[in-house]
Amino acid sequence: MDWAKDSLKKVSATREKRAQEPPPKLTDEEAEALLNEFHPDYLGMERTVGVGPNAGEQKFPLELAELLESDSPLPRDYEPVISLTTDVLILGGGGAGVSAALTLAESGFCVHLATKLRLGDANTVMAEGGIQAALGLEDSSRRHFSDSYAGGHGNNDPELLRILCEQGPKSIRWLSHLGCLFDQNEDGTFRLRAGGGTSIPRVLACRDYTGLEIMRVLKDAALLTSTKILENHSAVELLDDGEGQITGAVLWDRASRKLVSVSARAVIMATGGSGQLRLQGFPTSNHLGATGDGLILAYRQGCRLLHTYSYQYHPSGSCYPEALAGQLVTESIRAIGAQMLNVHGERFIDEMIYRDVVAGAIIREVAQNRGVQTPTMRAGVWLDTPLIELKKGPGTLRRQFPGIIHRFERYGIDPATHPLLVYPTLHYQNGGIRIDPSGKTDLRGLWAAGEVTGGLHGTNRLMGNSLLDITVFGRRAGQSVMWEIPERRAGTLTGLKKFREGLKGIQHPSPRTAPLLFPVASKMKFQLAEEPTDEPASAIETSSEKKSFREPPDPFGGM
Amino acid sequence: MESKTVEISIAGKPVQTKAGETIVHALWSAGMGDAVKTGCVGGVCGACTVTIRFQDGRPGGTDLACLRPVEEGMEIFPCPVESTLPIAPSLEPGVESLQVAFPTLNRCTKCGSCTAACPMSIPVMDSVLRMQNGKFEDVSEDFTTCIHCGLCRFVCEDKVKPHNMGLWVRRSLGMSRDNPSLDQVSSTQSDDKVEQEWSYLLTGDPQERLRRAKYFREHGSREA
Repeated sequence: MDWAKDSLKKVSATREKRAQEPPPKLTDEEAEALLNEFHPDYLGMERTVGVGPNAGEQKFPLELAELLESDSPLPRDYEPVISLTTDVLILGGGGAGVSAALTLAESGFCVHLATKLRLGDANTVMAEGGIQAALGLEDSSRRHFSDSYAGGHGNNDPELLRILCEQGPKSIRWLSHLGCLFDQNEDGTFRLRAGGGTSIPRVLACRDYTGLEIMRVLKDAALLTSTKILENHSAVELLDDGEGQITGAVLWDRASRKLVSVSARAVIMATGGSGQLRLQGFPTSNHLGATGDGLILAYRQGCRLLHTYSYQYHPSGSCYPEALAGQLVTESIRAIGAQMLNVHGERFIDEMIYRDVVAGAIIREVAQNRGVQTPTMRAGVWLDTPLIELKKGPGTLRRQFPGIIHRFERYGIDPATHPLLVYPTLHYQNGGIRIDPSGKTDLRGLWAAGEVTGGLHGTNRLMGNSLLDITVFGRRAGQSVMWEIPERRAGTLTGLKKFREGLKGIQHPSPRTAPLLFPVASKMKFQLAEEPTDEPASAIETSSEKKSFREPPDPFGGM
Repeated sequence: MESKTVEISIAGKPVQTKAGETIVHALWSAGMGDAVKTGCVGGVCGACTVTIRFQDGRPGGTDLACLRPVEEGMEIFPCPVESTLPIAPSLEPGVESLQVAFPTLNRCTKCGSCTAACPMSIPVMDSVLRMQNGKFEDVSEDFTTCIHCGLCRFVCEDKVKPHNMGLWVRRSLGMSRDNPSLDQVSSTQSDDKVEQEWSYLLTGDPQERLRRAKYFREHGSREA
């Protein structure tokens, strides 16, 4: 990184001195001013929509608003023919969906989980920093609540948030019983780290692979249950009974390019977020499938969306090298001492305050020409990772953050000796479908859990609260379905027809269809096979088995 | 730095790409996103396994398409690895129970292909030997960063399943681990105090609740 050597010199020259210095102070008013002036949520890049339950009322980011006013990709004359019948249909194969599936495993219900990609290919697996739970001796669920409520600007649904915080320790117990290994201190207690905005260390982790640890264990456990997994099956529409009850979904099998209509007594929406909409041209830390499909489907049926104007821009997205642009550098790296510096080697923000404020401060530095320009036409600020080695001893990074080391070493950058360049990256959808404490949506037959829901995190989520969210509310949705599953009703596209009527009133209809399924940049999209007929049900079962479990015969299998 | 053009080929088909971008992004730009199975685009889901070859003798091998930048003359072949059904972990993990769960454990011929194939630089073969010797804590450490792409199993000619065994060991250890600190929490707080704190935090209009939350987080308790 020769192009930045003058700036790097300044960074290393001040390192020893900075190591002992307290972070810059910031008043509540200054933080608010930073958000208003620089945070992407506050720049007015949003508008109302003309159709659906939030019409003319709540604002949405422009990119999402367009999708909410887009037509379905289903042919107009398509009539669903049920080819698969199940009790519970879970849409989404990330942490929330799989937690729900595990909860339903002993229910005796037939459970299908459909996922657009493979089981576990989701934002959960990419979570790095950790999961919050009030396990410290001086900590409490009330303190966890206070931190999260203040962080969410008081917009959080207090009832949901109280449940989240109270269930923290129980969730860790559940995950531990499933076999998740969280980092421990020498005395066998869990190692707790600070997160941005936590008033006391509360974040459990498995190095910087916490989401990977949780996801691979959940996935392993789910594959040992009777849950049937439909991989590469995207939900493209919800079915309803004509009277406002959700009764299944139309799936698109990406391999055969055919539609599969599923009748279910209960549907759990766990489709995750929408970082791949890349609002305002921001890069994203999200997985391929994060295109907000669940929001679109539920909204069409009449579910209200909450706080959907609010997104989380993670302060430390990588912005060099280009191949890693937008990818996450965990907040924990700041928690254990890495500082953020502008091009002059000056600290400009307390790195451990709330994420939205830190992101705003970075954007300010760059906007006011105190950022570091990369040769790839990006700009960012330094994340002084070598400071960790200075403060905590050589080798700390490699031991505690193998993921960061592994990713950057490929490009000849050793974070132990070389600072990283970061800029905010679109990370999390703070808002989403409104739910009650049992995960029920506004519609009978439809539950929702995880990133697709709104209200819990208010308008800014704390680090470590989303991994907790998916385990707490994924399980609650599963439990609620177990007790309150409705009787089976007919599967029709009445909701879609009504929505299409509503679309006629839109002045400038979008040329797109929604859900997007894949990011625009990927150029992958929904496409039907020549004859868009339904597949026979038997074909699905076998094809899913083939996809997931095909192996050459194992000569030692019987031993 | 201007963006240089780099020619690669994917499954034999030539593709023009921009220097510095990853294989996955190059395929997206070329409208060939479906050519390689893709998931997280961040190096942790293990979907986008490929094999790479260079005509000029540069070393190729296996890698993740989402992390690997394109290089001139790179020949890429999709190498999707099917997942296998897991084996239930054991509450009494040991060499014997591992051997029962994975009968091919001792078939390893120490060829080292698994280690070479691993995109996460895990010492896979050494760890299989550690499994044979029951050094499960070390094995658990080795597989901390395993993304279960399945390449180690895919390349094994002896049907050893290193990553499946790695997860089995980790889950088994995890399930049999005591976590005394989890039991402490619930017993240390009196119900009265807890209820008072909740009612403090949940009373008042949104402005007042926000003020109270800020007070509580700063002081660790409610106002006297």
